[in-house]
Amino acid sequence: MSSKKWLVAFVCTVLAFGLLTLAFNVLVDPFGVFGDVIFHWDSYSQTLNPRVGKIEYLDRHCDEYDSYIIGCSSTSSFPVEELDEYMDARFYNLFTYGADMLDSEDFVRYIIKNYTVKNILLNVYIDNGHTYDDPGIDNLTGAMHARVDESSLAAFYWKYLFLDPNYAIDKVRSFFKDELLAEPYDVFDVKTGCYDKRERDAEPISGLEEYEAIEQYSGFADYPTYHVPLKKTAQAMESLVRIKEMCDEAGVNLIVVCGPVYSGYMQGVDRQEAEEFYTSLAEVTDYWDFSISSVSTEPRYFYDLTHFRNCVGSMALARMFGNGDVYVPEDFGVYVTRENAVELVERNDAVFASRPRTDEWTKDVPILVYHNIVPDGEEGATVSMLEGQLAALRKAGYESVTFRDLEDYVYRGTELPEKCVVITFDDGYYSNYEYAYPLLEKYGMRATIFVIGVSVGHKEFYKDTEFVMTPHFDEEEMAEMSSSGVISIQSHTYDMHQWPPFETGGHVRETLLRFEDEDEEEYVRALQKDFERSRSQIEAVTGERVDVLAYPGGGYDILSQWALTQCGVNVTLSTRYGVNTLVKGLPQCLGAMHRIYGDAFPDAGELIAAMKGKR
Amino acid sequence: MDELIGILQSVCPGVDFETEKDLVEDGILTSLDIVMIVSELMSAYDVQIDVDDLVPENFASAETICELVNRAREK
Amino acid sequence: MSITSFAFAGFAALLAVVYRVLPQRVRWWALLAASVIFYAAGGPAAAAYMAVTAVTTYFAALLLQRENDRRAAMDGEQRRSSKRSHDRRRHLVTGAACAVNFGMLFAIKYWDFVSESLAFLRLPALGLVVPMGISFYIFQSIGYVADVSRGKTAAERSFPRYLLFVCFFPQMVQGPIDRFEHLAPQLFAGRRPDTDEVRDGIQLMMWGYFKKLVIASRAGTVVGAVYANAGAYPGCASVFAVLMYTIELYCDFSGGIDIVRGTAGLFGINMAENFRRPIFSLSLAEFWRRWHMTLGGWMRDYVFYPLSLSKPFAALGRFSRKHLSGKLGRILPTSLATFIVYFIIGIWHGANLTFLAYGLYNGAIITSSILLAPFYTRVKKALKVNESGGLYRAFCIVRTSLVVFVGRYLTRAPWLKMSLVMLKRSVFDLRLRELPGVVTGLGMSFFDLALVAAGCAVVLAAEYIEERGVGIRAYLAKRGAFVQWLAIAVPLAVILIFGVISAGSGAGEFIYGRI
Repeated sequence: MSSKKWLVAFVCTVLAFGLLTLAFNVLVDPFGVFGDVIFHWDSYSQTLNPRVGKIEYLDRHCDEYDSYIIGCSSTSSFPVEELDEYMDARFYNLFTYGADMLDSEDFVRYIIKNYTVKNILLNVYIDNGHTYDDPGIDNLTGAMHARVDESSLAAFYWKYLFLDPNYAIDKVRSFFKDELLAEPYDVFDVKTGCYDKRERDAEPISGLEEYEAIEQYSGFADYPTYHVPLKKTAQAMESLVRIKEMCDEAGVNLIVVCGPVYSGYMQGVDRQEAEEFYTSLAEVTDYWDFSISSVSTEPRYFYDLTHFRNCVGSMALARMFGNGDVYVPEDFGVYVTRENAVELVERNDAVFASRPRTDEWTKDVPILVYHNIVPDGEEGATVSMLEGQLAALRKAGYESVTFRDLEDYVYRGTELPEKCVVITFDDGYYSNYEYAYPLLEKYGMRATIFVIGVSVGHKEFYKDTEFVMTPHFDEEEMAEMSSSGVISIQSHTYDMHQWPPFETGGHVRETLLRFEDEDEEEYVRALQKDFERSRSQIEAVTGERVDVLAYPGGGYDILSQWALTQCGVNVTLSTRYGVNTLVKGLPQCLGAMHRIYGDAFPDAGELIAAMKGKR
Repeated sequence: MDELIGILQSVCPGVDFETEKDLVEDGILTSLDIVMIVSELMSAYDVQIDVDDLVPENFASAETICELVNRAREK
Repeated sequence: MSITSFAFAGFAALLAVVYRVLPQRVRWWALLAASVIFYAAGGPAAAAYMAVTAVTTYFAALLLQRENDRRAAMDGEQRRSSKRSHDRRRHLVTGAACAVNFGMLFAIKYWDFVSESLAFLRLPALGLVVPMGISFYIFQSIGYVADVSRGKTAAERSFPRYLLFVCFFPQMVQGPIDRFEHLAPQLFAGRRPDTDEVRDGIQLMMWGYFKKLVIASRAGTVVGAVYANAGAYPGCASVFAVLMYTIELYCDFSGGIDIVRGTAGLFGINMAENFRRPIFSLSLAEFWRRWHMTLGGWMRDYVFYPLSLSKPFAALGRFSRKHLSGKLGRILPTSLATFIVYFIIGIWHGANLTFLAYGLYNGAIITSSILLAPFYTRVKKALKVNESGGLYRAFCIVRTSLVVFVGRYLTRAPWLKMSLVMLKRSVFDLRLRELPGVVTGLGMSFFDLALVAAGCAVVLAAEYIEERGVGIRAYLAKRGAFVQWLAIAVPLAVILIFGVISAGSGAGEFIYGRI
C-alpha cells in the first residue's frame, strides 16, 4: 500500500470511528434530546440536565398536566399530589437545580406559549437575589433547553451529538445496575417531576445528637456561616415582574411562595439586603412567606443546608390551604402584602434572636420491650420483675401511651402526657396473655403485642414440625386481650421471623431483610405480601387497624422501611437501644424506633433511669 | 602521531584509535572521554583548546584529533 | 491545549492541510501564527515570559554576531591580540542573556522554594504560576545564543523567524530542546512534506498516544495515593507505586515526545530525538545519553564542556595531577564537573530537596563508576567476564534498571524524608503477601493492571525489535493492504477505547508540562 493510500485509509478509519461515536451518542442519548429511542429513561436524562430533560419529557406529556411548579431545587419538596388535591389540578414540578429567576422566567414563557397552563406555583428562594444568569453553569449539564431560551438549535444539537461518549457509556452501565430505589443517576420521579425522595424519606430520624452524628447531616452541627451577598435582587425582581405580566396576560393563576430557609444559611445574608429582597418582592406581588420561622431553626426539618424536607412542604401547603388535620407550627407561614413586608423582616430578626424552642415540637419517649414472661424462680423475665417495674412506673407518675398516641403527636401535634412510656411485647407468647395481660390491667397500663402470624395458636410445636417451642396464644385469646382495650395487637410479620434449626430448605428468613442474591422487586413483593397477610389475620380477629410493625430481630434497612411505608405502616420498631425523640410533623421519627429491653434492668429504679436516657 | 595515540590509549584503554574513523557518532567516545582526552592533551602539549572546538567532528578519529592539536599549537 | 485533547489533534490536522495548500514562501508564517495562538491560549503572563525570552535572546544573538563579524574582518595579528577583549565581550553578552532568562526562570520556578526553605530570611513568596514549557524554550534559546557566540551558527536577523524558532508549538509542552542549526532551516524552508512523512508522523503520534493515554495515565492513577500517604502502606506498595511511576514517567514523557515529533512530521519537520530506548542502557551514564537526550546534549555542550575547560577547573587539574597520583589525579576535575551537571539536572526537574538528592544520587554513582573503572576492569578480568556476551549485557541492563528504579524513589515524593521511608520499607518491610489487597485497595482493577502490563509488553517488544535494528514501519509497509489497515484500525480503536473513553473525561495532563 502506498503512503497515499495509507493516508486515505487512515482518514476513512478515523471518520468511521467518528461516525460510530455519533451514532452511539444518538442511540444511547444520555441527555434525551434525540428521543431516547432505546432506553426511554427520562429520569436519567433529567438527572444529567433537568432543564433539557424535563422539557423533552413535557413536550411529549404536556397534556397530562395543567399546572406547574417552578423554582430551584428546594422547590422539589412541595408535594405534587397534595397540591393536586387542594387545587383540583394536575401539577408537574418543573423545578431545576440551581434555577435562578431567569430560568424561571424562561420556563414560564415557554410553558404558557406551548402548553395549557392554569396555575403556576413559583418558589422564590433567597438565592434568587444571589445569582442571576450565572455563566458558570456547565455547558452540558446546566444549560437551558434551546427551545426554552430560544438560542441556536443547531448549536444545541451539535453539542449533544459530539458528546464525550463517556456520557453514553455511563448510561448503559447504569442501566444494567439500576435498582429499585433512586440512584445518583436517576434522582427524579418522572410523573411528578419531583426528586425521588423515597429513600431519603424512609430514613429513621430521632434525637438531634444522633442526627448530627450522621455524616451527611454533620454540617448542621458545625455550621460555618457562608456569606451570601444579594447583589442580583433587582435583576431577579425585573424577571419576576415579567413573569407576573405573562401570567396576568394569559389568565394564569400565579402563586408565589418563599420556601423555608435554614436559619444558619440565612445568617450569611446581610440583613439590609434580605429586607430589600423581601420588600421588593412584596412590591411585585403578594406571596406566602415560609422563609423564616421556628421551622428554620430545626435541622431535622432539612435534608441539607439549603433543602427543606418533603414533610415541611406538606406543612406549608396545609397552612396555605387551611388544612386543619395536619400539624403546622404556629409561626409557620405568613401571607405577605406590600403592607406587612417590613414587619416580616423584623419578625425574622426575632426568630434569630431567641433560642430555638425545641421542646415545643419534640418529645422524648422511651419504649420498653419484653418477650416471654416466666414464672418466678425460672431464668428470664419473671412475673414479679415485670410487676415490680410496672408498679414503679406507676409510682413515678408514668402513663403508658399507645402508638396511636405517638402518631397523633407527630401528624397532628396532639400533646402527650409529660411522663409517658410505650410498653411492647414481641412474638406473641402465651405467657403474655397468662401473666402480663392481667398485670397490665391491674396497674392501669396499656401495651402492644407484636405477633408472628404463623405462630398464633401454636402452643406446642414450631409450625407443622415436631420441634417443641415456647407456646403462643391463639386467636381467641388475642381477641379477648384486644377487646379489653389494654392490649393492642400489631405485626411482627406473618412468617419472616423463622428459626433456622427448625426450618428446612435453603433460604431461611430470620429477619425480613432481603437476601443478598434476591431481586429487589421480588423481595419487596414478598415482604409486602407477608405483611398484608399478617395485617388481615390480625384485623380479622381484633378489628383494629394494623399499621405498626416490630422488625424481627431488629433487622431493617432503607428498602424495608420504604416497602412497609408503601403498605401504610406508619410506625416500625427496631431493637436499637435508646430513647426516641419525636418531632412534630416529621414522620421519619416513627421509623425503626429505639427500644429498651425491660429484662436488661431487673431493678425498676435502673430501668426508670434508662428511660430518662441515663445508662 | 604515535605519541598522540599513546596518550589517547592511556586515557581510554580498549579503544582502537588506529582504525576507528567515527569515534563519536559510533558512540565509542562519550563526552566524559572527550573532556578527559582534551585535558590530557592540554597538559601534554601545553596548548589551549576552546570549548568551541569540542564538536564531534574534531574527535572522529586520531587524525582529526591530531589536526585539532596542531591548530591549537598555531594559535 | 493539552496535546492529548481532540482539540490538539484537530488543530494539528487543520494546520497540516493549510500548510500544504499555502505557497511555500508563506508556509512558515502559518506555523508562526499557529504557535502564537497556541501559546497565547496559555494566558497573558505566559505570553509575556515568552516575549522576554524571545526579545532578549534575539538581540543578544545580533550583538554577538556583530562582534564575531568584526573579528572575522580582522587580519591574523589583530585577531590574536584582540582575542581577550573579544572573548570578554562575548561572555558579557552571553552572560547577560543567561542572567535575564535564568533569573526569570529562577523567579518563577524556584523563588518560592528558596523563600520557604530559608524561612528565617523572611523573603516574600511570589506565588507565580509556572507556565507551560518555560524551561524548554529558555534552554533552547540560550543554547542558540551560545551557538552564535561560538560562531557555530549565524544569528537570525528576522525577529518573526526567530520567534518561530522559540515558540514552535509542538515542542512547547515538553520539548525536545532542539538546536537552531538543526531546527530553524527546516522551519523556514516551508517544504511540502511527502505522504511518507505524513504517514510516519501519524504513526508516531498514534504510538505516542498509545503510550500516554493507554499506559501512562492508567499506571499513574495509583501513584498519587501511595505517595500521599506512604506511611500507611507496606513496602510492597512503595515498590508497586514506584514501578508504576517509572512506567508512567517513561510512557508519558516519551509518548509525549512521539506526539510532538509526529506532529512536526506533518509539516515535514524532523525534530531532535529525545529518547533512544533507554531501557536497554548498560550503564547509568549511558542511560542519561539515551533518556531526555536533548537535555543531556544541552548540558554537555553548554555546561559540562565549558565547565571542564574553564580556568578554575584547569587549575584544579594541574593541582590534582601534582598532588594526587594515578587515575584519580587525572580525572578529579572531570568527575567534579560530572557531579555538577547531574546536580543541575536534578534541579531542572523541580524545586525540591528530593530533586537535589536526585542530582546527587546520579552524580555520585556516575562519578564513582569513573573512579572505580580500573577496579572493575580488574574484577572482570579475574572473573573472566566476556564483556560482549549476552549474559553480561543482560546483567548490565538489569543493574542499570535497578539503579534508575531506586532513583525514581527520589523524584516523585513530596519531600525527601518520605522517599527514604519508602526505600526503607521496600527493603525491610516489604510484606509482599499484602500486595494484591494493596493494589485493589488503591482502586486499580485487575483489568487495568493487565492492560498496563500488556501495554508495557508491547512497548518493550517494539523497542527490542528496534534495538535489534529491525524497522517495524518498513516491515509493515511491505505487508498487504488489509494488514496495513488493521495496523491503523486496531491501534486507533485501542487508543479510543482504552485511552480516551475508559479514561473518563479529561484524560491525563502532562507530568512534564510543569517543567
